[in-house]
Amino acid sequence: MKQKNVIYKCILSIAFAVVVLIMAAGLGSVRITPGQILGVIANRLFACPLPDGLPQSMVSILWDIRLPRACSAFIVGAMLSVSGAIVQALLQNPLASSYTLGVSSGASLGAAIIIVNEITIPVIGTLLLPVTGFLFGLATVMLVIFFSAKLDNNLRNHTIILFGMIVSLFVNGILTMLSAAYSRHMNRLILWQMGTFAGRRWMHVGILLVVCILGCLAAAFFHKELDLMSFGEEQSQAMGVEVRRTRFILLVLSAVMTGAAVCFTGVIGFIDLAAPHAVRRLFGSSHRYVLPMSAVIGGSFMALADLLSRTVLSPQEIPVGAVTALLGAPFFLWVYFGTRGKR
Amino acid sequence: MKAIECSDLHVAYEKRYTGTAYEVLKGVSFAIEEGSRTAIIGPNGSGKSTLIKAVCGMLPYRGSVRICGTALDKMNRKTIARNIAYMTQLSEVFFSYTVYETVLMGRYVHAARSFGRASQEDIDAVMRAMRSTGVEVLKDRQLSSLSGGELQRVFLARTFAQDSPILILDEPNNHLDLKVVSELAGYLKNWSENKPCLSPADEVENVKSHTLIGVYHDITLAMELADFLILMKDGRIAAQGSREEILKTDALEEVYGFAVRDYLKASLKNVLGG
Repeated sequence: MKQKNVIYKCILSIAFAVVVLIMAAGLGSVRITPGQILGVIANRLFACPLPDGLPQSMVSILWDIRLPRACSAFIVGAMLSVSGAIVQALLQNPLASSYTLGVSSGASLGAAIIIVNEITIPVIGTLLLPVTGFLFGLATVMLVIFFSAKLDNNLRNHTIILFGMIVSLFVNGILTMLSAAYSRHMNRLILWQMGTFAGRRWMHVGILLVVCILGCLAAAFFHKELDLMSFGEEQSQAMGVEVRRTRFILLVLSAVMTGAAVCFTGVIGFIDLAAPHAVRRLFGSSHRYVLPMSAVIGGSFMALADLLSRTVLSPQEIPVGAVTALLGAPFFLWVYFGTRGKR
Repeated sequence: MKAIECSDLHVAYEKRYTGTAYEVLKGVSFAIEEGSRTAIIGPNGSGKSTLIKAVCGMLPYRGSVRICGTALDKMNRKTIARNIAYMTQLSEVFFSYTVYETVLMGRYVHAARSFGRASQEDIDAVMRAMRSTGVEVLKDRQLSSLSGGELQRVFLARTFAQDSPILILDEPNNHLDLKVVSELAGYLKNWSENKPCLSPADEVENVKSHTLIGVYHDITLAMELADFLILMKDGRIAAQGSREEILKTDALEEVYGFAVRDYLKASLKNVLGG
């Protein structure tokens, strides 16, 4: 791939991301122009004067509702895509995703336990649900890795995938039982699992952003190892990669990012699967580009999906997971089979 | 100096459920001279692949393995890779890189930093490796667009780029047609004779001695690429020695349990007609 070409594509992708974010902030029942958006951001960040004639209600809609919502959608999309790209390369499986290791079902179980038992802890308050979800999600992944390693000394890819599937199915079974047993909470449980970005605050954005930046930086440190490991364990070992250790670190890293994403928003599929493939088609497979661009493209996709979810049938809101699946499925088919032609 | 020295090497796989160990290598001892060419041959399940994986440090073992004089268990993955380049059978490619990117991955073990551009030394090594397997013209092609033969040549270039004094091959000719196999054999011979250079610019360096070790199912290829033979059967070495020594005896026939050379003679006759 020519260096110059790549730079153009990078710039275009970032421009696309900015446009999506401005649209996500501007569109809705109340229209806000890009100029007004920039004015409000400048006012809040640098204490510049507000644009003339902008009612306080609009400022509040923009700053307290739309911007944090769009930002959290973008960050969650970025985290899911980056961890999707990592898991696909590690497991040498283009159909793997960040959910393959059972993060989502574990997190859902954690949240369900909190919801059905109506547990509240005064100090952490609204953070109780996400923190529990996160810990359960991470615990599930550790369980999957631990048992895969126990059963298979070489910790082979298909063992991990198989175990991830089995544990996910098992945990989902418990989840179904819980929802049946506590049917008065079923609504809340289902809503939580469907995932939404509604009502996200700057506090959420802040936490997500920290996890996202740290996670992406740590992953970038391993971009060469990811390239090598996508050729399989034997070959990457032969080229000098400490496969077991690197794989463990990267799996945990992707689990932390996915867990953080899921516990604040619920389970939203397809972006994590489709975005890395779109990036590979545009930029090639080298993880120097795949990792950062997955963040940009995945984030844009998610922000766009969230925008559609709240505007298409407005004032009714479609679950964002439904939007990503409805658009993501055909898009994925096109990306995946379009490049290879007939198999 | 010896490139590889194994003494009383045992490798066992643990059987699931029963917990009993199944020994694949039952005490293997041999020494491979630096700069020599060795073929490891034997029937399926005799432990050839296990042997080379153990030597590459990919399997737990008992006994002692020394690589260029250093004990294998004292070496980390990078040190092993700097000493041994290992090429597997042709395998499926899941993510498509360009040929250049792929060959550059062979330099992983020499790269000091995670970020930044490849050093001039790396680029030179990559170009040299691509020239010596004839894939320079494919430089910007995607792996997914290559034929099996081209792909295996790219992987060979990647192994050459690793610049390790020892090269171990596990059935490099699998899935490949005869022409490609003969080309591969040529590249490997050049490499082992220390002339991987096709252009005068490459002649300067390359003073290292190159040791070639291969597991081959194709006995004719083994004879072409090796002057030292290790014959394996049931996890033990049945015979080892120079090609001439081994061919004087009936060791081949004993290891495979049938008249190998009579069979080869007959099939060659069929091909040549009369």
